[in-house]
Amino acid sequence: MDQNIRNDLLKLFRENLSRAMKLYLETCSRCGLCVQACHVHASMPQLRYIAAYRAEIIRKIYQKYFKAQGSFFPRLSEAKELNDDALQELYEVAFSCTGCRRCMVYCPHGIDTEMLMSMAKLLLVGARREPEMLSLLADTSIEKGKSLALFKKDFLTGIKSLESRVIEKWKCPAGQAPIPVDVQGADILYVPLSGARSIIPAAAIFNAAGRNWTLSFFEAVNFGAFLGDPARTRLILERIIDEARRLKVKKVVACECGTAFRVMKQLSGKQPFEVVSIVQEMARYLREGLIRVNRSRCNGPITYHDPCQIARNGGVIDEPREILRHLAQDFREMSPDPAYNWCCGGGGGLVAMGEDTLDFRMKSARVKVDQILATGAKIVVTACENCHTQLSDLNDHYKMGVEIRLLSSMVADALVGPEETASTNPEKQTLRETTRIPA
Amino acid sequence: MQTLYYVILVPMTYLAFAVFFIGTGLRLFTIYRTPKYPAALQIFPEKHPGRLWAIHDALLLPTIRKHNPLLWVFLMLFHIGFFPLIIGHIELFREFGIFQIIPHEVFPGRGFVGLILCLSLLFFLGRRFFSPVREISTPGDYFLLILLFLAALFGSQMDWARRWYGYDALLVENYRDYLLSLLYLKPELNFAVLNSGHAFMLVLHVFFANLFLMIFPFSKLMHAFTSVAMNKLRRG
Amino acid sequence: MNDEIKADKILDLKDLPCPIPVVKISKGIKEVQIGQVVEAHTTDPGSLTDFPAWARITGNEILKTEKGDKVFKFYIRRVK
Repeated sequence: MDQNIRNDLLKLFRENLSRAMKLYLETCSRCGLCVQACHVHASMPQLRYIAAYRAEIIRKIYQKYFKAQGSFFPRLSEAKELNDDALQELYEVAFSCTGCRRCMVYCPHGIDTEMLMSMAKLLLVGARREPEMLSLLADTSIEKGKSLALFKKDFLTGIKSLESRVIEKWKCPAGQAPIPVDVQGADILYVPLSGARSIIPAAAIFNAAGRNWTLSFFEAVNFGAFLGDPARTRLILERIIDEARRLKVKKVVACECGTAFRVMKQLSGKQPFEVVSIVQEMARYLREGLIRVNRSRCNGPITYHDPCQIARNGGVIDEPREILRHLAQDFREMSPDPAYNWCCGGGGGLVAMGEDTLDFRMKSARVKVDQILATGAKIVVTACENCHTQLSDLNDHYKMGVEIRLLSSMVADALVGPEETASTNPEKQTLRETTRIPA
Repeated sequence: MQTLYYVILVPMTYLAFAVFFIGTGLRLFTIYRTPKYPAALQIFPEKHPGRLWAIHDALLLPTIRKHNPLLWVFLMLFHIGFFPLIIGHIELFREFGIFQIIPHEVFPGRGFVGLILCLSLLFFLGRRFFSPVREISTPGDYFLLILLFLAALFGSQMDWARRWYGYDALLVENYRDYLLSLLYLKPELNFAVLNSGHAFMLVLHVFFANLFLMIFPFSKLMHAFTSVAMNKLRRG
Repeated sequence: MNDEIKADKILDLKDLPCPIPVVKISKGIKEVQIGQVVEAHTTDPGSLTDFPAWARITGNEILKTEKGDKVFKFYIRRVK
């Protein structure tokens, strides 16, 4: 490796060292507790999939260039030179880590391996060795923000084409747009993904709850975060912050996308709006009686997969269960409890890299498959597009014979109005099970 | 030989304490001078108050208790052992009434504190030779444990000799004279410290303990000062 | 521009999860020669902004976009 390139990379390293990262880099006692934590290691027990080993790759480079011990006694901590081989190793550990932070549950010091992997990813970006596809996706997102005016008209046409499908799920009053866009002063800015399925159910739910909402022009997912590039993460996030400020909304609702929610919630800083997940919104609507659902539309055992970025890393754990209590008669929790939920195996940009990572994703998530099958559930609900894609791939690959659903589509399909409840569910039993709202 | 004993017992000891205090202070200063990470790093479900739970996590190691109970038993014995150990060393300067709440002869623990520390260290060292901990260990991890073991072993030997075998040529009073002379900056090595049959044990103990103090600020041992802060990040 | 554009390759990107349409078009375009045309069918409204942005980043050219009732068709010429 060219000395100039190395110096640039080390500069990048130094500039991005935070207090937390220094603590993490200096403190690991290599006790080995995290061996049990990683789903990749549990599914394929190889050394490089142990959290401490992954972290050690970056720690050894830190020892070499930022610690006197690494210069005087390099063998003691096995300090490592930053060269092409090291970059290759960084790639292998960083892009096999989904950033689920399950290892943080185990570590006695609470070391955040994902953060150390983000440093590995940053060095790869600096050396232009990052996955090309994630880079392209991030750049595409940023480009959309820059030249919105050019694409706006086409986008509106596309949204128009979805309206009839929203109305199928929930009729909104005459004169009201089923999918409002660019509404100045709306209460809610809903940030979806590109796909219709992240827009249609959400639109029906907002309309049913009588919310004053508007759809964002941008997709919520932050490919910059997958890539591990803080600069591009910021640019992608700022398109949405700017839009929310321009429209003067009170609340930004992130669609069912774990990364989107976590980045928006944790990196937006102090803003005149709050950031919530659509899961929290749906739970609130049910709780406050703004919408009601028919429980009899969902039969059979059902379980919920906690998306890591929404539950363990985002704090939305009770709300999806609250929603499922309204929807399902036979809800089964995965063993042992949500804190120990296995990652689906698709995070950290692995799903976004498509078929290139398919083989790894299938092999590394075997423990997730076992965890789901042990519940005996026939429907697996989740609240993240990324998890949904990965779980669907697992379902095909391991012939699990389950149905994978998104929470918002479950709610949208079960929406009932006051008159419908009476006509379709005459029995007292069902009436009691539907959520009542004041007329 | 006398010169070597002198170098270890006097200048090296001063140096070791200087390196320990200045080094630890500087290390903490450089870490805390680094800007904070801009976002929250906590994981959920959360419990309040986070600060107290962070202290709980750092002192009681609940995750280890849950996932590796045997390791937890040794870790707790080892870390708790440091309390009587530190009290015992302070009492080698002079007696304090407050420490005699539980009446004991100096050194507290009847020799068992040292024994427990040594056995725990052997356990920690032993497990590093087995997979998967072996693969994630660095040479420094082994050396640190060996160093601590040697310091503890020679320290305990002196205690054991007095307590269990009735050895009386090197007594608490002799240590006091030596340590107080260091404290008052008028170092003086008495006859027992230099010439008794167990003097070599004292010298070896002080030598390894000095090395330990000098390595402390530059090693993962800093977790003693950073673990609460790190657990606070996790607890939010 | 001709109304009839002859595609050298047709990609069915209907009902795919985010961001697979962009992933697949990026791969698909590399499977044709420079100058050849890929016809991509999508159902995602987001593709109407994703694809033009993607084309600007990758330097490929969208010759025509047909916005049907449910399906959107893109005719993309590989330039680079």
